[in-house]
Amino acid sequence: MSTEVTAPMAGKIIEVKVGVGEEVQEDDEMFILEAMKMEMPIVAPGSGTVKEIKVEAGQAVEADQVLAVLE
Amino acid sequence: MRPYFEKMAEFGKPLTEKQIRASEESAKKIKEVERSIEEAAEKVRNAGLPTETINARGEWTVYQRLEYLVDPGTWCPLHTLFDPMDEESGTTGVVDGLGKISGRWAVIIGFDNKVLAGAWIAGQAENILRVTDLAKRLHVPLVWLVNCSGVKLTEQEKVYANRRGNGTTFFRHAELEKLGVPVLAGIWGTNPAGGGYQGISPTLLIAHKNCNIAVGGGGIVSGMSPKGYFDLEGAEQIIEATQKYKAVPPGRVEIHFNETGFFKEVHETEEGVLDSLKEWMKDLPAYNPRFFRVAEPKEPRYSPEDLYHLIPFNQKASYRFEEVLARLTDNSEHMEFKPDYGPEVYTGLAKIDGFLVGIIGNRQGFMPKGYPEYAPYPGIGGKLYRQGLIKMNEFVTLCGRDRLPIIWFQDTTGIDVGDLAEKAELLGLGQSLIYSIEQTDVPMMLVVLRKGTAAAHYIMGGPTANNHNAFTLGTATTEIYVMHGETAAVAAFSRRLVKEKEAGRPLEPVIERMNAMAKQYYEKSRPAYCAKMGFVDEVVPLPALRKYMVAFAGAAYQNPKSICPHNHLMLPRIIKG
Repeated sequence: MSTEVTAPMAGKIIEVKVGVGEEVQEDDEMFILEAMKMEMPIVAPGSGTVKEIKVEAGQAVEADQVLAVLE
Repeated sequence: MRPYFEKMAEFGKPLTEKQIRASEESAKKIKEVERSIEEAAEKVRNAGLPTETINARGEWTVYQRLEYLVDPGTWCPLHTLFDPMDEESGTTGVVDGLGKISGRWAVIIGFDNKVLAGAWIAGQAENILRVTDLAKRLHVPLVWLVNCSGVKLTEQEKVYANRRGNGTTFFRHAELEKLGVPVLAGIWGTNPAGGGYQGISPTLLIAHKNCNIAVGGGGIVSGMSPKGYFDLEGAEQIIEATQKYKAVPPGRVEIHFNETGFFKEVHETEEGVLDSLKEWMKDLPAYNPRFFRVAEPKEPRYSPEDLYHLIPFNQKASYRFEEVLARLTDNSEHMEFKPDYGPEVYTGLAKIDGFLVGIIGNRQGFMPKGYPEYAPYPGIGGKLYRQGLIKMNEFVTLCGRDRLPIIWFQDTTGIDVGDLAEKAELLGLGQSLIYSIEQTDVPMMLVVLRKGTAAAHYIMGGPTANNHNAFTLGTATTEIYVMHGETAAVAAFSRRLVKEKEAGRPLEPVIERMNAMAKQYYEKSRPAYCAKMGFVDEVVPLPALRKYMVAFAGAAYQNPKSICPHNHLMLPRIIKG
């Protein structure tokens, strides 16, 4: 089963903390999003393997944009 | 109520290697600031005459007296860097803090006899006010180490008069006594005029054999110049009179022990005075801690040293408040109040050294989707929204009802703004929190973990906006200001930029002023500045937070003015449901 990891609000991805194929646990930090003058972590919604990363550091993203897919 | 408290819910996770590695640089920066704070504190401790000079006179310094008086390992210094009026010594001439004497908590303050023989100097009155307020709020004894040469006469206008002048100490002692808070004093050296009243105003006076206290000292007894000016003849008369009175200062032990009996006891040695204070402390009212403890004290399961890797030095970076709290509470246990409501704020009960306290702190990071419920924009931690404000009002009110001391943790950028926020009543709810706090009448302690900003700094237990804040701590990551410097520069100069642009004039001079303003905000919000000005009462290393929390809880429960039986507590039952 695949799970999408999405941006909770518009902003800029300043760090991608995981790579494709990496195992993550629920609440592990996957991205750092800069928005509203703060740098906030986007965490894994559940445990799984990172199947796909759809953004890179420095990229602007919209709210609800898919950033990664977990399997 | 044992089942509620003996084992509460465990929380927190151990640090991972990855977390430690990723936060090494941040931890290093925090420790650098802590080192600079310690260097500044060392400078304060070395102010005035060297210890050897005082010892050569057969006297101890205030620090040596404190070392002998206070139970080992219990001293929690306060106001070390406080110097709001830029006194030339870089101090306020007094040394104070919370500590145990003979197993009982006391607020302890002594004149720094290395600095102008313990004179009243600029900024000292404000320091003493904080100390008497602390004893009043915690309802614990105030212990004075009096060694006060009176007003620094060359700067009398800075210390003598005014609503918060040095003389207000005397009525504040009377006020404490009215409230049933005893003031003990050990007295050393020459204490004329202001020093005399510093000596006479406490409840119990324990004298060193060479001390004196008097309405006026030798200099005052010798009088004014009858000519209205000074000349050689007058100077000779002054010399003669001063030599006479220097040899026999008024208010010695012969007078105030033998004649007036103001001195309860006289002791031959430094140790004798301090031993007597220790003995008297044993006789003062204090509950055995087991009377109020809800469980056996335990250290946190996770080390407070972890805090270096949990609280980012980068003010923009996020962290989990619960992970911080788990490093500070007994056995890393808690009971959270309303976890699904007002998610930007943590409220809950925890044990500190076996005592039950209320904890309130800002959460960081993204809020759940759809929050705040009154606006289309997403919520982020550090800000306060409607539910968070309502939750804090409820929690504070219930802590007051249950007589639970409260420890606040601030890392806040302020209350949400805009018409939607106004419509959601945030202005009124913020002020309601100030009202709720004032109604509680329980002691509170505040830690400004990182940002203390805007009205949120006031309403979240800040010292500006209530009578119950016993003391406020800062850390190496603290910054306190009305708003971020860059935000302030935009607010102050945006219209000017437009005008200059429309007039075709160069923008550089305005930009220069904006940068200067942002820089000034930065410099005047640093931890050392906050301590110097008294925005915080002490800046402490992160792992020391737990020690101050233990001191606060122990002191708050030592002899409370009002108590709630454990079997009548409502908060734990409301949390359980």
